[in-house]
Amino acid sequence: MQTSSTIKLIAAALAAQFLTLAVTTTVYAQSARSNTVSKAIGLPENAKDKALMEQPTPRLPDGTVDLGGDGVWSLPYITDFSKVLVDTKQIPYMPWSHALMMYNRYTTDKKYDPEGFCLPPGGPRMFATPYPARFIQEQDHKKIDVLFEGGTHIWRQIFMDGRPHPTGPNVTPTFFGHSVGHWEGDTLVIDTVGFNEETWLAYSGQPHTNQLHTIERITRPNFGTLHYEATIIDPGAYTKPWTVAWNIPWHPHQELQEYICQQNNKYLADLKDDLGEPFFKVDQPAP
Amino acid sequence: MKSKLFVLLGMFSAFAVSAPAFAHHSFAAEFDIHKPFVLKGVVTKIDWMNPHTYFYVDVQNKAGQVANYALEMGSPNGLARMGWNRNSLHVGDVVTVQGFLAKDGTAKGNVKSVVLASGQQLFSQRKGFGNQENGGKIHYKNLND
Repeated sequence: MQTSSTIKLIAAALAAQFLTLAVTTTVYAQSARSNTVSKAIGLPENAKDKALMEQPTPRLPDGTVDLGGDGVWSLPYITDFSKVLVDTKQIPYMPWSHALMMYNRYTTDKKYDPEGFCLPPGGPRMFATPYPARFIQEQDHKKIDVLFEGGTHIWRQIFMDGRPHPTGPNVTPTFFGHSVGHWEGDTLVIDTVGFNEETWLAYSGQPHTNQLHTIERITRPNFGTLHYEATIIDPGAYTKPWTVAWNIPWHPHQELQEYICQQNNKYLADLKDDLGEPFFKVDQPAP
Repeated sequence: MKSKLFVLLGMFSAFAVSAPAFAHHSFAAEFDIHKPFVLKGVVTKIDWMNPHTYFYVDVQNKAGQVANYALEMGSPNGLARMGWNRNSLHVGDVVTVQGFLAKDGTAKGNVKSVVLASGQQLFSQRKGFGNQENGGKIHYKNLND
């Protein structure tokens, strides 16, 4: 399959149009209607599990915060990053990134969202995609792996051995980039570069460039809560760094399940571009 | 002053949009939250698959015409957490489905809930999904009429 190049040209043209009418009344009304955080399904209802959620932060034998346990992290569905901003009221868009967000979000009703194509959500959005996740702390081998049930059943690895990011031709831009981490007290700090440009930062349509650099800060203030914070630094798309944060509840006794998004994605077959033509065209064999 | 603030907050919450239970493709790209439907029909096929489970039902209207509707739900992993399993539906079952029709006018819908042949009701969206967009209470258009 190949993506129609026509659609990209039209997208660019429409995005440019939006530059001139960035804040119309319609748009303003729609932004007030955006949804934010919705509760995860199936969280503890019995008293014993509820009490467990309030227990103190669990620790590994060496005192490091234990990010695991009998259960999974029930990632919330955060559809609009403009509603979970920290220390700022607005996302510091550049004109082009604002225009493209408007096109992605309103003009086309998010129908070109790469996640709908079964591509990975990328970076912070992975923690805002409502399927469970589990951390595996390889203390001896100085790595942390994160297993995600959703977003194409994917994983991330975080190098905790002090290595630097690769540079120059050694960087292959990827959906999740290259992550190195360290502990600052009880906060896991993850620094990531080397992202490709094939994801949206959020369901709400914010684009990014391959200059994207994220700093994620993760704490577990009690047994039942993971606090997630991500600073987005992208001088190609935003005028200054901006930060989003949310809590992730623990879901006791749950296990990860299989979710292979690509199995039967009828959405791709039905998706039309802005001219009403199939968005994905199957290559025709030579006559 | 305080009451004014509450009125203002109330106005904003009235604008809030229901978040779907599942994350995959955009709901709004394919379905119309303002086209709620209810139908009673006979299950003809079930695809218990990712990223969306589909089942198909023959729906007869009062004129005797039968249409086969494609009905989309969440993924098996998510549905399992909402009480479903792969035997919840069988070909030949008579079921009652509430949901939202496709924007393109085809016989396709996104499922909010299903009353199974056993009488049990299971959900594929949150219970309040679509309420706000439809003025607080949804009037489902009966496709059997």
